[in-house]
Amino acid sequence: MSVEAAPRTFRPSLSGHSPLTVLAYIIVTVALVVAVAGPWLITQDPLMFSADVNMPPGNGHILGTDDAGQDVYSRLVVGTGLSLFYGASAALVALVIGSVIALLAMALGRPTEIALFAFIDLIRALPGILFALACIVAFEPGVGSVVLALGVSFAPNFALITRATYLQQMAQPYTSAAKVLGAGRLRIALVHVLPNIAGALITQFAMILPRCIVSESVLSFLGLGVSPETPTWGRMIASATSYIEEAPHAALAPIIALSLVTFALAIVGNSIRKRFNVSRKSVTL
Amino acid sequence: MNPHLLRLLGSIGLDILRSLAIALGIIIFTFFVIRMIPGDVVDVRGVEGSLTYSQQTSMREDLGLNQPWLTQFGEWSGMILSGDLGESSRYNRPIVDLLAIVLPSTLMLGATALAIGLIFGISLPTLACLFPRSIFVGIVEFITIWSITMPTFSIGIMSVIVFAVWLDWIPAIGNFLVPAIILGVDTTGSLAKMLYEDMKDVESSEYVRAARAKGLSRSRIILRHVLPNALSVTIALIGMMLAGIFTGALTMEVVFGLPGLGTMTLQAIQGRDYPVVQAIIIWLGLAVIFANLMTEIIRKLVDPRLRTS
Repeated sequence: MSVEAAPRTFRPSLSGHSPLTVLAYIIVTVALVVAVAGPWLITQDPLMFSADVNMPPGNGHILGTDDAGQDVYSRLVVGTGLSLFYGASAALVALVIGSVIALLAMALGRPTEIALFAFIDLIRALPGILFALACIVAFEPGVGSVVLALGVSFAPNFALITRATYLQQMAQPYTSAAKVLGAGRLRIALVHVLPNIAGALITQFAMILPRCIVSESVLSFLGLGVSPETPTWGRMIASATSYIEEAPHAALAPIIALSLVTFALAIVGNSIRKRFNVSRKSVTL
Repeated sequence: MNPHLLRLLGSIGLDILRSLAIALGIIIFTFFVIRMIPGDVVDVRGVEGSLTYSQQTSMREDLGLNQPWLTQFGEWSGMILSGDLGESSRYNRPIVDLLAIVLPSTLMLGATALAIGLIFGISLPTLACLFPRSIFVGIVEFITIWSITMPTFSIGIMSVIVFAVWLDWIPAIGNFLVPAIILGVDTTGSLAKMLYEDMKDVESSEYVRAARAKGLSRSRIILRHVLPNALSVTIALIGMMLAGIFTGALTMEVVFGLPGLGTMTLQAIQGRDYPVVQAIIIWLGLAVIFANLMTEIIRKLVDPRLRTS
């Protein structure tokens, strides 16, 4: 991977992007606006129950109502913010845990490196969802444990890319120069190498983010995510699938939102990867 | 003894040792993580109202749940090592029996998905390399983007709405073919993506240029030189893909209402049925470790360059 060849000029122009990428950026922008402006966009309290259950779209409910008579549109708007926030938090936890621990372990020497990556092999041998499930049940279901469990199960991706890029950077002349000038291993790792592998880590973050959002939805769908008062998309899908015959719109709205946003984020992640000139193979999925 | 053979055996021996260490790690890790879960099977049954207090106490004694953790771990690991999976504390039946009921359905789903993935995931990139101006290149690119951007979870629920509720083509519960195809397409995408990129890399290597200079035909170069070399890299990822296929199968089973390992895992976690959860995590972990070890050994047998480390 050629991280050192990261382009220095940052041009926020749309030229040179495929229509698909432009569309993806537009979807992500809209989702972010909805997430931030959510409280002003809703038409009623997303948690308010009513007797009008499973109503099709219309009659004052733009997207109808769900099995508890709650307004699907308002829940979807609030859910956009929640899903993006929890997904981003989980990806951030994975980034921090994975890269910092890997960097420290690499800097401290061979024994810590071997110990850490043996542990990572262990996590990677378990199917991701199963690992997250076990963690969540162990810490009691809830927002914090979902974010933590997803963070830990995606941390190995960051640790592996950190190791690969760290080794490449240590072969560069500038790290030898720092060593000759008397910089310690930790200083070289954190002050010299970290800024140079940031591009690869940001790329990995962008690739992991949509997967965290989907995983949160899957966990909520399986009944182990957030509580029903927190209408993330997965939570909405979970309660709507029991009434899928009566009110398919209540499941369709969040699943389309989820699909559109994860689709757009994946395309955006790919375009970020190209911007930082990270080869596709070096990004672990 | 032949030094090459010695090096091969040594390298494989190291792999086996490493796999054993990871397997041991998984066994220890699983036991303690599951024991961290607050509440036990007796609590759950108590809440359901099916047990009196004295029944709960005697049930804990029967199951050994009142013993210290370390004692429980000692007895349990001895049991696991002798191949006994134990009993489900909820259904009072051997876990082996429960697995025998659900495993065939999950294995069928996973095997069908893997078969679809292997057939199309290998043939499509090969065709795309053989005919670089044909529609196959477009298909590979499309299916790659599809598998990256479309999680099986979303596709699964949308398929239920479209095919079961609106079109009424499939039953909403218990359909096998649709989840198998969804998982298969996903597997095809990730396999095709890696293989196609590797084949492109190998195509620009020097020995392929040498083969071309020798006058070999394009199809011979790709089928005899490019594909086998690119495949050796891809094989290494099949072990990892198994874990992904299982994760997909778990969600698909719940989405499509299929009885199987995924549904059983979920019920066992929700019912605090520790022995079942432990057995599932451990045997899946061991299966993935074993698959990784096998792919590693196969790669070393076919590719001498990998034997050094």
